Amino acid sequence: MHLQSRARKQAVHGSIFSQACHACCAARVRSRLGAGLLLIWQAAWAGPGPVSLKVFPADVTLRGAGATQQFLAIVTGADGAGRDVTASAAWRVSNPDLASIADSARLAAIADGSLTVTATFSGMQAQSPVRIEGSAIARPFSFARDIGAILTKRGCNSAGCHGGVKGRGGLKLSANALYPKDDYEWITQGGGYQVLTTEVKGERIPRVDLQNPASSLLLTKPTMITPHGGGKRFDAGSGDYQAILAWVRSGAPYGAEGRQEKLARLEVYPALATLPVEGQRRLLVTAHFSDGRTEDFTHQVLYASNNADVATVSADGVVSGKRLGETAALIRAAGQVASAGIGVIGPAISNYPDVSRWNFIDESVFSKLKTFHIIPSDIADDAGFLRRVCLDLTGTPPPPERVRQFIAGKDPRKREKVIDALIGSPEFVDYWTFRFSDVFRVAIFANGLMPKWSQKYWEWIRSSIETNRPYDEVARERLSAQGYGPASRHFIPYNQIAPPADAMAEEVRVFMGRRLDCAQCHNHPYENWSQDQFWGMTAFFSRLFKMGSVVFDHPVNMDLSSKDVDGKIELIHPRTKVPVQPALLDGARVNLAPDSNPRKELARWMTQHPYFAEAAVNRVWGQFFGRGIVDPVDDFRSTNPPTHPGLLAALAKDFRDHGYNLRRLMKTIVMSRTYQLSRMPNATNREDAVNYSHSLPRALDAEVLLDAMVDVTGVPETFSTAVTDGSSVGQAPAGTRAINLKDPDMYFSRFLELYGRPSRGSIPERSAKPNLGQALHMLAGSSYVDRLSSKDSRLARLLESGATDAKIFEEFYLAALGRMPAPEETQELRQIVARRGDREAGLREFVWALISCREFAENH
Amino acid sequence: MLVAGGSAALAAPKAPAAAPDPRAISVHPFTGRRGDTFVATVRGIGLREPTSVFLDRAPLAVTVEGTQPEPPNENAARSKVPFDLVRLRIQAAADARPGRYPFRLVTARGVSNALTIHITDYPVAAEPEGSHETPATAVAVERQPVVFTGRISRRGESDYYVFDAMAGQTLTFEAISGLPAIGAAGSNAPGFDPSLAIYEPSGSWFDPKRVNRIAFNDEPLWTFGQPSDAYLVHKFEKTGRYFLRLEAFSGQGGPDYGYQLKILPGEAPQDTAPPREGWDEHDFPRHLSANRLNDLAERGGRPRDQKSIETYGASLFKFPGTIEGGIARPGEAHRARFHLDGPRDIAIEVETPATAPPLFNPVVRMLNAAGEEVATNVFAGRGACSGALNKSIQAKTIVPVRDPGDYTVEIRDTTSDLAEPGFRYRVQVRPQIPHVGKVRIDEDHVNLAPGGVKTVRVMFDREEDYRGAVVVAVESLPPGVQALAGADFEADKDAPLTASKRERYTARSERIVVVLTASPDAAVTKEPRLARMVVRPVVDGNPGAVVATKDIPVMVVGTP
Repeated sequence: MHLQSRARKQAVHGSIFSQACHACCAARVRSRLGAGLLLIWQAAWAGPGPVSLKVFPADVTLRGAGATQQFLAIVTGADGAGRDVTASAAWRVSNPDLASIADSARLAAIADGSLTVTATFSGMQAQSPVRIEGSAIARPFSFARDIGAILTKRGCNSAGCHGGVKGRGGLKLSANALYPKDDYEWITQGGGYQVLTTEVKGERIPRVDLQNPASSLLLTKPTMITPHGGGKRFDAGSGDYQAILAWVRSGAPYGAEGRQEKLARLEVYPALATLPVEGQRRLLVTAHFSDGRTEDFTHQVLYASNNADVATVSADGVVSGKRLGETAALIRAAGQVASAGIGVIGPAISNYPDVSRWNFIDESVFSKLKTFHIIPSDIADDAGFLRRVCLDLTGTPPPPERVRQFIAGKDPRKREKVIDALIGSPEFVDYWTFRFSDVFRVAIFANGLMPKWSQKYWEWIRSSIETNRPYDEVARERLSAQGYGPASRHFIPYNQIAPPADAMAEEVRVFMGRRLDCAQCHNHPYENWSQDQFWGMTAFFSRLFKMGSVVFDHPVNMDLSSKDVDGKIELIHPRTKVPVQPALLDGARVNLAPDSNPRKELARWMTQHPYFAEAAVNRVWGQFFGRGIVDPVDDFRSTNPPTHPGLLAALAKDFRDHGYNLRRLMKTIVMSRTYQLSRMPNATNREDAVNYSHSLPRALDAEVLLDAMVDVTGVPETFSTAVTDGSSVGQAPAGTRAINLKDPDMYFSRFLELYGRPSRGSIPERSAKPNLGQALHMLAGSSYVDRLSSKDSRLARLLESGATDAKIFEEFYLAALGRMPAPEETQELRQIVARRGDREAGLREFVWALISCREFAENH
Repeated sequence: MLVAGGSAALAAPKAPAAAPDPRAISVHPFTGRRGDTFVATVRGIGLREPTSVFLDRAPLAVTVEGTQPEPPNENAARSKVPFDLVRLRIQAAADARPGRYPFRLVTARGVSNALTIHITDYPVAAEPEGSHETPATAVAVERQPVVFTGRISRRGESDYYVFDAMAGQTLTFEAISGLPAIGAAGSNAPGFDPSLAIYEPSGSWFDPKRVNRIAFNDEPLWTFGQPSDAYLVHKFEKTGRYFLRLEAFSGQGGPDYGYQLKILPGEAPQDTAPPREGWDEHDFPRHLSANRLNDLAERGGRPRDQKSIETYGASLFKFPGTIEGGIARPGEAHRARFHLDGPRDIAIEVETPATAPPLFNPVVRMLNAAGEEVATNVFAGRGACSGALNKSIQAKTIVPVRDPGDYTVEIRDTTSDLAEPGFRYRVQVRPQIPHVGKVRIDEDHVNLAPGGVKTVRVMFDREEDYRGAVVVAVESLPPGVQALAGADFEADKDAPLTASKRERYTARSERIVVVLTASPDAAVTKEPRLARMVVRPVVDGNPGAVVATKDIPVMVVGTP
């Protein structure tokens, strides 16, 4: 087999040389580990003997008749790890006249007074003081709280059931009981829900029967006395059954509604639960009400696991580990959703190394790694670090001479110095202009169908990056842009003013990382975003208007000839048909002058909201690690919790505290040890893909990859405008890099299309998935073939200079992979080229294999 | 002579089909220093056998040195018709005033369209032969001021120039396109829209030889019809060597993509084309003089016996009056009250003397005593495709006011956030005076074969209910050529999608067709003759003053 066919076969499959194939090796290593390792880790979980026992909550007050409290008993071992022994511990109360406690550690109040709860385990004891108040005072009934809780806990109002957009089986409920008044009406009066009108569809059939309460559909359906598509949800005679029956018997009132019934938030303990495979851990859920009260909600919520292959959560909140990994438990109560991280972890590590921490990023990341019994990899070697940081900060691989200098450098601060040089480089400006042009959607069709306008918009972004303009300023200018200026051009896709709903959803996604789109037509089925919130926010954009080529906000109090054509400048709620007033996401209405720019107020609020900094740092973080702390980076939601909430908060705070300085944020990230870890895994972190314990390979974006090929081969790319005939066709100036194309949609490139250049018709989402087209293009595409045959290439110049094979190998390795070839690689290459017979052809094939291999096409 | 009908003029044997007019596309170079002689090449179609150059009073002496078919090349290969190259020797008079001078080629097929020669005071240098696409091959700028004549010869080409500048020195750079007629700048439509950027050789960590952009200019404002030449004034912070890069906005290039590059010391004003001549009362920058009523009366065929209009800067004014002011702070609204004694048909005109739309977009509203909007310069309509509500501001609005009383004129910028010292306005509120508005004559030149016929369309606006006649006279036609009244087919226009008060903003437009015909025995002319088209209103049987003229070169050409 000569080099060409062999190299191509290997390259298409991943890499050509042993050191370049770590990524595919990793998969093989993973499969070898298999189940055997899991068993070893499980057996080791028992770990060192218990050292201390603690009871949670440590101090609690129970209020009202029938109050209960779930307790936890946590043992800490000599290794510092905590284990849940709630089910194994013995529980007793100091005064059985005041309260009783079950084996499951659930305390039930009987009478007012103070007592102590004691847990005993393995000869150790721990106590928690308890106060009981108002045990004879029944809490007033509240439909929102009492019935809403049952409907939520039993999953009746979940998105897949009656909480779906139109409900199910003729009964519509709001997801998570977010709108209890609506639910009350549907249950007590019946009727079909319609998306585009508040009118009731069909005959109203109440779900309660006041004459014969036990015959209420609300009871006969979930008990399967009447056939129920959703199956049996509870038993006749269960507590929930009795509660609903009693409510119907009492005339099915709506009951009280006030701050004491308003659930403000849920708190889950622990926020991050670790447990071994086949281990268990109970969750404790505390409800915080608007009046400041707290109440144990552990048994009043619906639990679900985000990944049941990793861990399951029982109906009463007990997490069971299934396999090593990380997921989240989702907890739903009436009107609220919360989550807790779950880590199913390996065995404790004796002599866990003391890993030094270089900044607050490392504090957060390494603390979690230690909790998860994962040891971070070593620091990346100089060559690996340099290539990674160059590509991440500038989208440009380091030139060979810089790699040599850096590797040879003895300055202990050389990494920081090179980071500063890169952040201050014009290539940094090029690259981050490209990145933000993606997010901000610089494209002709998105900017008024005018290349002039999209390029001015591009120049605005570039100027902002070049001057390191504070990101909140950039956001405010883009959000509230008026007039003819460049920042306003994105409001006129196709030279029409953007639909206000689209404009709002895009801005919230870009600057707050939230996707509200689902709530446009109905309350969000999975999140707490309501249709009213969506349209309240949209109303800030509802007066966005275009006068010729000028963007402005149509004054409320001025006709401006609208009557001439029976036009109205107002936003109508699609369902209620009522004009919508601007309201912030938190529901707060904003008083606006009738001829003001409402988006200015929105921009001020958005950029001060905690979501803004969180979303910004998460987006930037995602660029450096291949995944966000919340991933996808613009999909923050309760059902997609951050892997490192503390880190996210710390980064956001640091970003805010330093004036939303993007360059500083990036430097903080790349100066962390976390960022500078090696790509080489160790035995404890090989499986880890979310905790940043080692560097993970990331496919280069199409534009960066093409530019890197140009750098390596020395042959520039030609970008022509999409029209291929006629004398007016344009062409980007010679030497233009792909990342510097101002209007990429004007330029056709087969390579860029194949390698995932996204359309900017919507906020781009890049895919790194390989495809057959790429493989074929590698074999015969002009991007490869023409470069290899060019007479002006780097290879041609080296050959002309009389360079030896070894020199050529070294030069290309440095240019493409940012490292020197290993001696065995040089040796093998020499042999392959020699066998080829034709030296120049052999070297061309070597270059082809190099720019086709995975090590080149990835950053790691 | 006045247009007169006459069947005899057309009662001739059918004339042979006329050959296509000669078409001049570009001339390169198109700039010379006064007193100098230089050679330029015109590229076009049907330019063989040029006999002379028609200059129309330009201070140039131009001789044709020769003509040849364009050799095969990438650009010519795409065209279905052959291109001709005409070599001219141009001598600019020593006393010629710097400016732009049109010229036309005269061939056996007639007179061509006009191209423009720029005459400058500054030394002119030609872009040297060869590629200048990198800093290493940049054209050296040895002195300032200087004007380079260059060309973006092919797609994707950019030209580098290298020069030295002192710290604190200000230089003006201006690139003027030799192919300015573009449909949409930056689109694939033909045309050359130059852009400029200044680079310094400051290098980078990756490439010590990298040049980095420190200033950039495409035209700062662009809308359809606006010039797209690039103008950049830069003050240099450091003494050193710099590069100027000139390229086409969207990377177009070819033999017609000639340019003139000015590099001048200090801050020099932009060299723009002279403003379009003629009356346009729907154009924001036009001047609203105190004699406006007399000007309008004259265009309506009436005597100039109107009183002048006073200018006010206060919150009260007397009708008719002109209000002057500026929007100095964002969101600012200015109001001025006036009184109408009785029903009046009034006109509200808006002038933006410093900054015009789309940068300053003055919205003017007229409110009654109850604060209700009676009139505005905002025209609203429904989009023909989408039916969406569209609005645009207009420089003029007419409105019939039936109720006497106090009214308020309110002026503000369309936006609530923008204001600049240049946001100055003059708003004139006056009685309507019927008159002839804008007049447009669509022909540039006419070549007639003996017995042949060509039509010239004259469009005019009836403003403020002008009901008089309009007459077009054609003077100084070549012997044997007559002008006749005619009509041609005018397709029905679709009614607006939704009714709106369009008539308040848009004048009724009509057209006159003038038929030029050469008698079968008309003598072939060697040189074009400038025929003058003269437009006048006619009211009550009396012709009024001239409201528009246009000189059109006319030739009688031999049959091909």
